[in-house]
Amino acid sequence: MHSILNRFYQALMALACLSMLAAFGSILLGVAAREMRWDIQGLDAYAGYSIAAALFLALPSTLRQGDHIRVTLLMAKLSAKVQNVLEHLCLAMATGVTAYVAWYACRLVLVSYTTHDVSPGADASPLWIPQLTMALGCIGFFISFLHAWIARFQGSEFFVVNASGEMARTE
Amino acid sequence: MEAFVTLFLIVAMFALLGSGLWIGLSLLGVALIAMEFFTQRPVGDSMALTIWGSTSSWTLTALPLFLWMGEILFRSKLSSDMFRGLAPWLNKLPGRLLHTNVIGCTIFAAVSGSSAATCATIGKITLPELKKRGYPEDISIGTLAGAGTLGLLIPPSIIMIVYGVAANVSIAKLFIAGVIPGILLAMLFSGYIIVWALMNPGKVPAADARMSFKQKLYESRHLIPVVTLIALVLGSIYSGIATATEAAAFGVAGSLLLSKIEGSLNWQSFKEGLIAGCRVYCMIGLILAGAAFLTLAMGFVGLPRQLAEWIGVLNLSPFGLIMLLMVFFIILGCFLDGISMVVLTVAVLLPTVQAANLDLIWFGIFIVLVVEMAQITPPVGFNLFVIQGLTKHDIVRIARNAFPLFVLMMVAVLGTYFFQDIVLWLPRQMG
Repeated sequence: MHSILNRFYQALMALACLSMLAAFGSILLGVAAREMRWDIQGLDAYAGYSIAAALFLALPSTLRQGDHIRVTLLMAKLSAKVQNVLEHLCLAMATGVTAYVAWYACRLVLVSYTTHDVSPGADASPLWIPQLTMALGCIGFFISFLHAWIARFQGSEFFVVNASGEMARTE
Repeated sequence: MEAFVTLFLIVAMFALLGSGLWIGLSLLGVALIAMEFFTQRPVGDSMALTIWGSTSSWTLTALPLFLWMGEILFRSKLSSDMFRGLAPWLNKLPGRLLHTNVIGCTIFAAVSGSSAATCATIGKITLPELKKRGYPEDISIGTLAGAGTLGLLIPPSIIMIVYGVAANVSIAKLFIAGVIPGILLAMLFSGYIIVWALMNPGKVPAADARMSFKQKLYESRHLIPVVTLIALVLGSIYSGIATATEAAAFGVAGSLLLSKIEGSLNWQSFKEGLIAGCRVYCMIGLILAGAAFLTLAMGFVGLPRQLAEWIGVLNLSPFGLIMLLMVFFIILGCFLDGISMVVLTVAVLLPTVQAANLDLIWFGIFIVLVVEMAQITPPVGFNLFVIQGLTKHDIVRIARNAFPLFVLMMVAVLGTYFFQDIVLWLPRQMG
């Protein structure tokens, strides 16, 4: 089960990488189109959808790599027993919040589909199509937190332990 | 009643953050509580719509691309080439090769959007090289920690994109506004090294072998790629050819080309860079998504307006307000990373800042400077973490080494306040 799920997260990550490339491509294409006076509509909007897809689809894998940041300052000061309780509490809360987000992300797709909501930009795409990536990523995020929580009960390790101790190079 | 709501939300925020819940989810959680209990709006639907709207915007596209660009350059030979190109020129300056930290970070900051990336990329070359030549470690570490923060101030800058999106200010103008303060701050740092070297002449090792002017010039050919990349990214923004987002795409293309030419680009490093870029963006994006919904919730509850009214009652001068905010941000920086700090506070503070008649571009640079200071104050400071990873020294020692540069940054904050043209002159020249 673990390995199936891990492969699922990796597949989403691969899609995220493709989305990043798509964003990159559509911006360059947009510049070329402007310089060459080609008539391609709505590339800006496609770039936006692509980075949204990159963000949401990468969520589970990023969690597993331990890259999502949290304040561990107070936690580290507590005894191992209290830490364990707190970790359970955090995973429970995270599972709850992500379930809520995933539910409403799916509802957003449904609402956009049934109301035939189209993008206000020049692309005029039906919005439910790009919003599918958000729903898929949020479901994956919820599953990964549930996975992490169950792994905690079973005493197995969900997070990838980073041997090199490399920092997330964020800001 | 309103005061009670505000207090309750602040307590809830600190409780969630402190418990160790992931930061982005904490922000979402507080926003959910605020919307559910204190407004009559449909919570879940407006959440999904806000998150989608904020994460699929064109302006934000610049952010993942600059992050990706940083990851590509981190995997290239750019930093070792820079060291080779710079070193021959610095042997005559008091402090000699210590200046490679400052100048290296300044140059790298102009192609990188993040201070931790700048610190890590430059530090992995300069720290071992300086140690090998016998420079005292304390000053190498301190100057690296300080100069690394220039990654935030010198464009492109991740935190400026985050601020620009939150405050609805032109990102291109913010970028250009950071140039002069960034160069001045770098000069302050270099000045500090010169003063230190003159006071401690025994501690600076002898110069490397002398080179003729022609040889030096020839060694400088290693600087050509990075200078070209800077010209491409900043030049296209400043001249108005490209928006910040397009410049980011040029930057990615340029750094891919650069690593291709120098031979460090292969399928493996390309894939690693892309995945690392996606992951770093994902981590920041989760915080941004949470913050977008929290901003909406706070707006409904009316918190920013109230805060502006309260601070209005205090009757502070703009200078008093700025000093108060500086202290507040440095304290907040003890617990939170810079991006979380900006997204948490900017939306709430904007009415206050506008009421004090402060320019929003100037305020953006002010925030970046203060976040820079927070980067090198323990216990949470990303540059300290990076240097800890590089040197394995204790974080308190690194912070002590960086303290003089912290003081210099405070001088810079005061300088930009009293001479606001340092910040605002260059953006005004833009078309």
